Amino acid sequence: MSVRGAVRAERVRTFWSDLLRHRGLLLSLAERDIRVRYKQSMLGIAWAVLLPLSMMVVFTFVFTRAIDASAVLDVRMPYAVFAYTGLVPWTFFSMSLGGCVNSLVANRNLVTKVYFPREVFPLAAVAGAFVDFCVAGAVLAGLMVYFNLTGDWSFAPHATILFLPVVVAVQVAITIGIGMLLAMGNLFYRDVRQVFGVVIQLWMFVSAVVVPVPRDGSLLARLIAMNPMVPIIGAYRDCIIHGHLPDAAGFGYAAAAAAAMLVAGAVWFRKASYRFAECI
Amino acid sequence: MRDHAVRFAKVSKRFRLGETHDSLRDLLAAGLRRLAGGGSGRKGRSSFWALENVDFAVGRGESVGIIGPNGAGKSTILKLLAGILRPDRGSVAVHGRLAALIEIGAGFHGDLTGRENVFLNGAILGMNRREIRGKLDAIVAFAGLERFMDMPVKRYSSGMYARLGFSIAAHVDPEVLLVDEVLSVGDAVFRLRCIERMHELVRSGTTLVFVTHSLDQMQSICPRALVLAKGRCVFDGKSRAAVGHYQAAMSEEYVAHPTDLRAEDCGRERALELSGLRLLDDVGTEVVWVRAREPIHVELKLNVRRPIRRLVVELNMRASSSENLLSVNSGRDGLRVCGEVGEQTILLSMPGIPVCSGQYFWNVRVWDAERGTTEIDTQFKYPLVIDDEGRATGTLCVDHEWSITGRGAGEEDVEKARGGVVLLAAGAGAAGE
Repeated sequence: MSVRGAVRAERVRTFWSDLLRHRGLLLSLAERDIRVRYKQSMLGIAWAVLLPLSMMVVFTFVFTRAIDASAVLDVRMPYAVFAYTGLVPWTFFSMSLGGCVNSLVANRNLVTKVYFPREVFPLAAVAGAFVDFCVAGAVLAGLMVYFNLTGDWSFAPHATILFLPVVVAVQVAITIGIGMLLAMGNLFYRDVRQVFGVVIQLWMFVSAVVVPVPRDGSLLARLIAMNPMVPIIGAYRDCIIHGHLPDAAGFGYAAAAAAAMLVAGAVWFRKASYRFAECI
Repeated sequence: MRDHAVRFAKVSKRFRLGETHDSLRDLLAAGLRRLAGGGSGRKGRSSFWALENVDFAVGRGESVGIIGPNGAGKSTILKLLAGILRPDRGSVAVHGRLAALIEIGAGFHGDLTGRENVFLNGAILGMNRREIRGKLDAIVAFAGLERFMDMPVKRYSSGMYARLGFSIAAHVDPEVLLVDEVLSVGDAVFRLRCIERMHELVRSGTTLVFVTHSLDQMQSICPRALVLAKGRCVFDGKSRAAVGHYQAAMSEEYVAHPTDLRAEDCGRERALELSGLRLLDDVGTEVVWVRAREPIHVELKLNVRRPIRRLVVELNMRASSSENLLSVNSGRDGLRVCGEVGEQTILLSMPGIPVCSGQYFWNVRVWDAERGTTEIDTQFKYPLVIDDEGRATGTLCVDHEWSITGRGAGEEDVEKARGGVVLLAAGAGAAGE
């Protein structure tokens, strides 16, 4: 192995052993984030459910009552289920990134006064949001039972639900990759947070979260097709509701994009992390 | 190869001055300016070396103090050791489990309770959950906060906050402990317990690197010290000898950057201004550090623009605290000073100032006694380093003498009784021993 290769291998090794050694800290920081989020609040962790649920109610009202959107909304399931299955993973995505963006800056004290691998900050933000995601996901089962009981729509669980961990893994990978870039971007330039706030709003509407994306071959549709979140959100519905595996090309593309993001984010983050304490 | 715990090999660290873009807008603006060919648009793009070629090693179980004036690079060394910063040149290696106490309670979250914060902070300092659970009682007892563990720390007083923070760090049981000037918090009793705890850790084999401004604390814990000045290590050796080098570094710092006398002018047309202030020794050379109880003369030059019938001149001296150690006043001394237009020199002579080694600050105040207006107030900006050669600690340095009678009062025992201090009748004349 060349010297450079050996150095790189050594770096990768220290990177992993560093992270592994600090997994306890990662969990502690995630736990802190969760505790702090629900401290001094009456409903506590119930907010993890109430947030996507109320969003679902809002969008259901807008798209099925306030305006007639039946032309766009050919979703082959009750719109509430469509919206909820989109909103739960999306909330996980946007909450994670929102946490990541501020993770370094909000922990300035730790960044400048204590050493541990800086990756812990964005990772803890994602881990904290993941707990909410699991709680909100569990409620989906309740929602389906409700629709079965009222007879509006019948639903039976499918074996493809076993593919779900893969979907979650791909989403977590892309979230961590983007999250690391956002965290360090915001450390150097605080504008990142502002821009992020706007972009994440727009991003939701082109990710098939509450409205299906257009597939008419227009320029817009082709641009949207490049968005890896479309196949990821779609994969949740495929596995849980439709009972088939996600389309290989689309999901494969998303997985490849996620892997690329993760590697790019991790490498860049590590490279820049030695300057964090000086530049924050 | 692992014979030392810390190896700091020819390390240099550079910091950029200013011009880190805080927002994209600034970045764009700076870019445009550069494109426009202004060239001068980027100001202060220079950098400075916070550390230059600093080289030392600390053996296992050794405790080393780092002292030096502000900005000498002490904290930078600790941050490099802790891994927070990365050197631009040279290499830093620390062998063994490291805990850095650079700020007490860094990472406390106000909304969490004391107990929750113990777990969080313990994890930040590198302990795992089981370890923390095992030490929880000891941590709480050391901090003396048994009754407050379920209270969010945002309701803690700053003293409670600091006590809990130090207590956690003190129980990490690191192999290498870095401590940065954190013991200035808390009350005297707690400070004493912190020092005791550090002694305990050192006795049990912990390697300690201790940054402090308190020469007393440093000498009591560390037999060896490094003195830093302007990013260089100017001394590495016995801590008693280090104190002198520290003071020399302080003086040099001052001579290199003398306080700007005109900085006191604040717009209003003054009747007089302070055009010079010097400390002189007996032969009239300017000094910024003197030996305790060696004669000292303060020379004031006043530039009087408008005649003033009665002036009162006052000199005050303080250590870093807010109380004057010394205040002499021409009015109280019954001296009548007239301000006649032109330059006037006032000389104040003192046979010596009997205080312990340390850095002190002067303030000069001049009033127009007739109008009752303060004409000059220099706000304790003038430093004076006093050196009693480490013979006493505390505030005052008074002549003293030991006499030991009875059996076994041989030479050796006398030495022990004095705790290694080799001085009997102290005084300017006896300085040479």
